Order: sequence, then structure tokens, then C-alpha cells
Amino acid sequence: MAESPAFESPVVRSYEFSSGGPLMLTDASPTTKWLVRGEVGGAAAERLDAPFGSSRDAGGGALVLGSRPGEWIVLGPADAVASVVAGLDGLDSSEFLTALDWTHGRALFLVTGTDAPRMLEKVCSLDWSDAMTPDGAVASASVAKVTCDIARHDDDGTPAYMIFCDRSFGQYLFDALIDAGNEFGLSVGPAGP
Amino acid sequence: MLLVPCPNCGPRNSADLRYGGESHARPDPATATPQQWRGYLYLRDNPAGWLRENWYCRSGCRRWFALERNTATNEFRNPPAPGDKRGGKA
Ligand SMILES: [Zn+2]
Repeated sequence: MAESPAFESPVVRSYEFSSGGPLMLTDASPTTKWLVRGEVGGAAAERLDAPFGSSRDAGGGALVLGSRPGEWIVLGPADAVASVVAGLDGLDSSEFLTALDWTHGRALFLVTGTDAPRMLEKVCSLDWSDAMTPDGAVASASVAKVTCDIARHDDDGTPAYMIFCDRSFGQYLFDALIDAGNEFGLSVGPAGP
Repeated sequence: MLLVPCPNCGPRNSADLRYGGESHARPDPATATPQQWRGYLYLRDNPAGWLRENWYCRSGCRRWFALERNTATNEFRNPPAPGDKRGGKA
């Protein structure tokens, strides 16, 4: 099998990094991410166990996000993601199931901080209050006019959001998020998975 | 702002969706007359009142669904139940 080419983030401009602040934006695009599509209520759905709108810790740092009806994103450390995806191989099911390595195709940004919901509300029409989108919630919506998957995965009690978009929109969306976060004192963290 | 009740995502800003026009049953191309086919392709009822129409949740669940909207008041009614395949591009 051919080796995957080295990952290149869609975020190519340079920014002044900060190691900490009340509101952080980080480029986490190199994180391994797979897209799985199957049937609602099928064997894969049962195995992945993350219905549309919810997420599940699949062990070893891997997360399964129920991003759409019959569609999941599996992300995290490469070996943990591989073992979740490999678990779909032997399923006794006639459903049409696809699993695709999406690592190079999608940008992933993290927004972390108590003001993160207020910042997101500037660029996305969903209700980001705790009651509507608690820790673990997953949704798809337009963020600054880009169709994104968004998953809330709090960091030790601090609201944190993962925002996925097509890599070709990555640089634009990164800049749009910086713009939206400026009034809350947003800083850009060093990139990394 | 129009709040469209998506059966999967809940109420959504219509900017997150694509309007798919009036919902009509597609005639069988094998038996439809040219007049019936033309009517299906080009003619619309365009009432001031309740109308069954298609919507595509393009930024959300990426599903087509059909529901009724009052074109005079923009009220919605009868969205399909989640997972119900009724409607869509009928
Ligand atoms: Zn929807």
C-alpha cells in the first residue's frame, strides 16, 4: 500500500502564537479523522453507538461523533481510530457501509474558553447554550457561511468546540473565527493534533 | 428570519436550508402525456395559503423533506417524523 503523503494543514498563514488565554483557537487539522456512512438503525450504527447529535468516547482517546443520520466521524490518535474502524469490518450486515480516511480532506479547529459559545453565536445560528448544546453535543450548521460539523467536547469544565470543514475553506474559516473572537480576547495556539 | 422545522435538526434558520419548491408527485415518464409532463416540470399552483413544499437541509442533516407552509403567514405544519422517509423529492 502506498504511504499517505505528509499532512499539510490548510492554515498556511503565520500567526503570533500564545500558549494560553481566556479564549483559544487552535488548528488541529492533522488529527486522524474518518468518515463512516451506514444505515440509520443498522449494525454499524449499533456498533458505533453515537446517534445523530451525540458523541461517545470509544477508548484510547478516540471519539465517535454522530454527525448526521447514518453518518459518523471517528477521530483521535491514529491507532485508536484504526481499531474503531477495524471493528466495523466483521459486522454481520448487508447494509451499504463506507469508511473513508478524511484526515487530509477536512480542516479541524478547536475553540476553547468560557466565551466560546458567545463567539460561536456570532457566526452560527444555532443555540449554543448549555441547555440546547451540552457537553458531548454534535451538530452540523453553517459557520461564517461554511457548512461545518461542530462537536462540543469540554476541556475540564471549560466549553470547547471542534469545528470541521472542507480543507479548501480552512484558511478562510480560521481567519473568520479569529475575527469573531477578537472582541473576547481570542489568541491563537500552536497547531497540533 | 424563517425558522424551518427540520425533522432531524429541529428549527433551523432557512439560510441553512435550500428551498425545493412545491412538492408534486412525479408522473410515470412511461405513461405521462406531454401535457402532464409539462405541467409537472413547469406549472405551479402558487396559492396564497397552505402549500406542500420540499426543503433540503443543506448545512444540517443533508436530507430532503416535505412539509406545509402557509405562504401568506409563513407558518409551518405537518413536518415528517424523524427518520420518516415520507416527502422529499416525490
Ligand atoms: Zn436537518
